[in-house]
Amino acid sequence: MVLVLAIGDLHIPHRAPDLPPKFKSMLVPGKIQHIICTGNLCIKEVHDYFKSLCPDLHVTRGECDEDSRYPENKTLTIGQFKLGICHGHQVIPWGDLDSLAMLQRQLDVDILVTGHTHQFKAYKHEGGVVINPGSATGAYSSFTYDVNPSFVLMDIDGLRVVVYVYELIDGEVKVDKIDFKKTSTTRSAH
Amino acid sequence: MLKGKKLKLPDRLGSLVVGFDDKDEDSGGSDSVLESGEELEIIQPNGFGSGRESETDDDGEIEEDAMVKRKAKVDGELEQKGRQRHEKDGWGHVLVMKIIETDEKRSDIEYEISQKEVNLEKLQRIASTGLPDGGGLRATVWKLLLGFLPPSRDLWEKELTENRQKYSKLKEELLLTPSELARIKEEALHSTEHNADVDTDGPLTRQKISHEDHPLSLGKASVWHQYFEHTEIAEQIDRDLQRTHPEMKFFSGESSFSRKHREAMRNILLLFSKLNPAIRYVQGMNEVLAPLYYVFSTDIDEQNASNAEADSFSCFVRLMSDSVDHFCQQLDNSSVGILSTLSRLAELLKANDEELWRHLEFTSKVKPQYYAFRWITLLLTQEFNLQSILRIWDSLLSNPFGVQDMLLRVCCAMLLCVKSRLLSGDFAANLKLLQHYPDINIEHLLLVARDLSPDTSSYRLSL
Repeated sequence: MVLVLAIGDLHIPHRAPDLPPKFKSMLVPGKIQHIICTGNLCIKEVHDYFKSLCPDLHVTRGECDEDSRYPENKTLTIGQFKLGICHGHQVIPWGDLDSLAMLQRQLDVDILVTGHTHQFKAYKHEGGVVINPGSATGAYSSFTYDVNPSFVLMDIDGLRVVVYVYELIDGEVKVDKIDFKKTSTTRSAH
Repeated sequence: MLKGKKLKLPDRLGSLVVGFDDKDEDSGGSDSVLESGEELEIIQPNGFGSGRESETDDDGEIEEDAMVKRKAKVDGELEQKGRQRHEKDGWGHVLVMKIIETDEKRSDIEYEISQKEVNLEKLQRIASTGLPDGGGLRATVWKLLLGFLPPSRDLWEKELTENRQKYSKLKEELLLTPSELARIKEEALHSTEHNADVDTDGPLTRQKISHEDHPLSLGKASVWHQYFEHTEIAEQIDRDLQRTHPEMKFFSGESSFSRKHREAMRNILLLFSKLNPAIRYVQGMNEVLAPLYYVFSTDIDEQNASNAEADSFSCFVRLMSDSVDHFCQQLDNSSVGILSTLSRLAELLKANDEELWRHLEFTSKVKPQYYAFRWITLLLTQEFNLQSILRIWDSLLSNPFGVQDMLLRVCCAMLLCVKSRLLSGDFAANLKLLQHYPDINIEHLLLVARDLSPDTSSYRLSL
């Protein structure tokens, strides 16, 4: 049972002052084993805050990040799954499924975690899964001001992943879950 | 016999008769050699008693050789001390007598437990003189004394299997992680359904969650929240288990052998803490569990040894039910709490040795709270080495008036046995002595404990 937090696009301090308090009260150290951050934190304080939640932190570079040392994309293996991270502003058209699928094949991962659109998405596409945790602070995006704060917590247990989606809608935290299994045929070589 | 000579209470520091003292020291010395359990292990009932615990002939020969070697070693040690010839023969004679005594006891016990209806009283009486190490005798007798095995032999098989099944069911229910639980639930629900969206692309279906059942939930009813609360306890248990009996390969070290044992004890303690939310886990429970688990896993009977975890759990629960009130903070000041027990200890001391009691309570102001708390809550597991603990527990478990009664007597005896040192000490010296209790002859200690005059107030309470 491995808990992985996928979060990103906070844009602190430029577009938002902080995480919503209801999110902050839930994110306590000791429960989460890995944090995957799509990027656009933007400052070191946010990085330190995540480090305090969990020592195993992976960040990729967003276009507004002040720290230029983050990599453009990253892959890691957790349990039976290979995960890939990329902020997504590099993939044009932004949020386009086929282009993201190309990136996924390039990184050779089962689950691609990407951001930039500030919209939660969980897609199965061409043999892989794309998850976009959205913006954790509800910061405005390049498309729209109407953004709900959201993040994602994945529970990786053997060949099965349960994705818990946390969204702040009208001031209330709503949690949904998504279940999927990795089958041996999902990664067939095209 | 040697024991008859020890009717008065000689203590380590000085005695009226030098010669007598020397002999006592030596008898103490040789007794402790015997007490270490090594000697007794050599004597297997090859040819004695029933054939139930038959060893091969080869083993018997090797053991006899070892026995001869051991005897020679003790003789050698005595020669070094410069004893006279006839006294050396005397010790050799004593050794043989002791060996024969143990063998007789072993066959006595075997006879008792092979009866259809075990006579618990008789067993208690034999057990209070000490059980032989090695073989499965101690394990079986303890199980009988704790009430885990019923007196009628026919019911043993049934009782054991039922208990072991119950334990594995409990483990399944309470020790799974929430994701495993969810997986099992889901498999039960969706076993007939095919995953419709296995190969189709598109957005993944979102499902509602019931009852705040997500990993970050802070709700009390959430499975996840309870799980994370218990990880703290589990970490504490792990830390304590690392420190249990660090000198013994059975418990400590990184071998798969000791890891397996620590894992089993971890399961037991975690399960106990979940089933008893009022006291959960308290540091030290690992020490109380250790002798039980050790005795049951070193049982000769293969089946018993492999089920040591389940059996230890049940016996641990039984043992703790006696003293569980001592661990509950709210009950500290009540009539069943630890403070009341400590004052009973003081009363017992007063009834038996008012001079010492007065000196401790008033002159040096060493109250029982300062030293006896650990003695009582942990059943003396922190004051002695494992072999001594096993011997003391033989007496504790076989007391017809209950473990707590004998425990108080042994504590009182511990005070009496170091009386002269206590009388000459002040607060600091006495506290130091009692918190690091010195090595003494266990048989002697238990004899003193048995011969104490009971404190009548404790009878009133036990009614």
